[in-house]
Amino acid sequence: MHETTHETTHETMNKSARGTTRESVNGAVNLVVAHRPEAAPLLDWFDLTESRPRGRFRCYQGGDGIALTISGTGAHNAAAAVRHLHERQPEAHRAWLNVGIAGHRGEPLGTGLLINRIEHRRSGERHWPPVPRLGLPGSSLVSVDKPETEYPEDAAYDMEAAGFFAEASRLIASDLVYVFKIVSDNRASPLAELDLRRVPELIRLREREIRAIVEHLRQRCARFASCHTMPDEYPLLLGKCHFSATRKAMLAGLCRRGRALGMQQRLHTLAKQRFRDAGALLQAAEAALAAPAQAREAATGETGEGPR
Amino acid sequence: MFSAIYVEREVRDHPRTLAILDRYRELPLIECERYGEIFNRKAQNFRMQKDSQALILAHKHGRKVLPAPGGHGFGASPSHYFSHMLNCIYDCRYCFLQGMYRSAHCVLFVNFEDFADMIAQAISAGPPGQMFHSGYDCDSLALEPASGFARFFVPFFAQHPQAMLELRTKSTQIASLLQMKPVPNCIVAMSFTTEAAAQRWERDLPSVSKRIAALGRLQDAGWPIALRFEPLLPETEPQEYAELFERIFARLDAARVHSASTGVFRMPAGYFRKVLRLYPDEPLLARETRNENGIVSFRQRDEEAWLGELESSLFRHIDPASHYRCTN
Repeated sequence: MHETTHETTHETMNKSARGTTRESVNGAVNLVVAHRPEAAPLLDWFDLTESRPRGRFRCYQGGDGIALTISGTGAHNAAAAVRHLHERQPEAHRAWLNVGIAGHRGEPLGTGLLINRIEHRRSGERHWPPVPRLGLPGSSLVSVDKPETEYPEDAAYDMEAAGFFAEASRLIASDLVYVFKIVSDNRASPLAELDLRRVPELIRLREREIRAIVEHLRQRCARFASCHTMPDEYPLLLGKCHFSATRKAMLAGLCRRGRALGMQQRLHTLAKQRFRDAGALLQAAEAALAAPAQAREAATGETGEGPR
Repeated sequence: MFSAIYVEREVRDHPRTLAILDRYRELPLIECERYGEIFNRKAQNFRMQKDSQALILAHKHGRKVLPAPGGHGFGASPSHYFSHMLNCIYDCRYCFLQGMYRSAHCVLFVNFEDFADMIAQAISAGPPGQMFHSGYDCDSLALEPASGFARFFVPFFAQHPQAMLELRTKSTQIASLLQMKPVPNCIVAMSFTTEAAAQRWERDLPSVSKRIAALGRLQDAGWPIALRFEPLLPETEPQEYAELFERIFARLDAARVHSASTGVFRMPAGYFRKVLRLYPDEPLLARETRNENGIVSFRQRDEEAWLGELESSLFRHIDPASHYRCTN
């Protein structure tokens, strides 16, 4: 959020009638906002409830794989909030989206900007968020430590995106880390005149765009996750013997190969057998995947196979 | 085609940049200092980027002409390669570029004149007959309407007849060539896999039929053409290649084909590991492989016999003297 001298206005929200949340490992998206007024519409749209126990940063979770955290002001806080949310969640592939307000010298208030370049003014570090084909206006952004009132560059100004992006892209490919800003102040309507009670309204103006970005990220993340999650045979085979770290990696590779080749059934059959040790199991798995389909079918009585 | 254009500040006002920006004026334009800060950064996913590939316009610094790897190319004369572009707009699952680069974005170096200077130096320093390959890190013609690569380099090589240029491509962007007089030392080398392999493992490419038709038009116009059957993919019946050869030579005059090459799939082991991580669900890459001296290839039963049979059917159409087997 582009910090102002006004006090934060808390919106009252009735979250009592929420259903049970269920972690979704595929197509999950984590949202990071700076302050509560920016969070309020998102909590509504995605039906998010606060996670307990409350930690350093407030976190919210929905039943559809969407989570949110409120970071407070500044790049350092934004990075810490990303870490905090990540550490609270079970291991999974998740996309990240920073939503918030920003200043811009020329763009009209309420304009939504998908950020394609982030410069951290203090460190000089630059980040390059992806540019998906969503038809949204793009902009570069400068993350500053103090509110920018002069808008010297043709860019959006915020205080969190640099910290957010740097940290989130340590956790997942940066192709799944987006930043979307809504213009809250400009030269004609400077920061000092920003009424924080208007912030939820500004965010709501861009509901269609934010939902489109979240849906795009969910699909992108789901595709990524679906080919990188471990096949079902892996835990079954892993449980049969003691595996060293190296042999675990070999087993993972064989299970992925089995899935790619449509030979999961062969590995599933192996999971019903007994093995002397992990070495013997790996050898059997390799042989199973190497055997030509017809010979293997004759030997095992399998009649057909394919992804289950 | 592209989702955005990144431009190095240094080439922002280069005439070639301005022409390209004019062509893609509806795309977001993002300035950068050096292409490497986008192209070489960590935590990128090549596979995901293929869905929203960007074009990066940059200035090539440093060495621009490099010796071609041994076993790459035809004849005994020295071979070089130069890359006016890094990466490709096509998406072939077997391509080594997926393992070589962190990014799927295409980098186009707009300072063609600097490449030409270095090529001229290499030509004057070496013996006659040197070959210059342009399609090693990219497709030579795929971006021709925007880049004007052939429009620039073909006339340049026309002035240096003692050297040869190979335009390696799978593209049918031949309009600029057809507008020029054929240049005897500029060869258009078209790559082919079988129809089934192309349908399965090549995305966003002109069909085999269209490639044959384009090559036919070039030959009709008097351009030297060559055929590249690389990579030969495993478990492809020689009969499938025989059918491909029949289709090709039904359209082309075999006697006027400059050369034809074959080469099995091969990829440096480090690149292959990266590609495998990107596509753990890809049946092609899940096949059994062998690693010889750091180069990964697919295991193919009776490989020599398979290759021999395949090449024999090629030699029913062309003189074996015009064939080479690419080993690198």
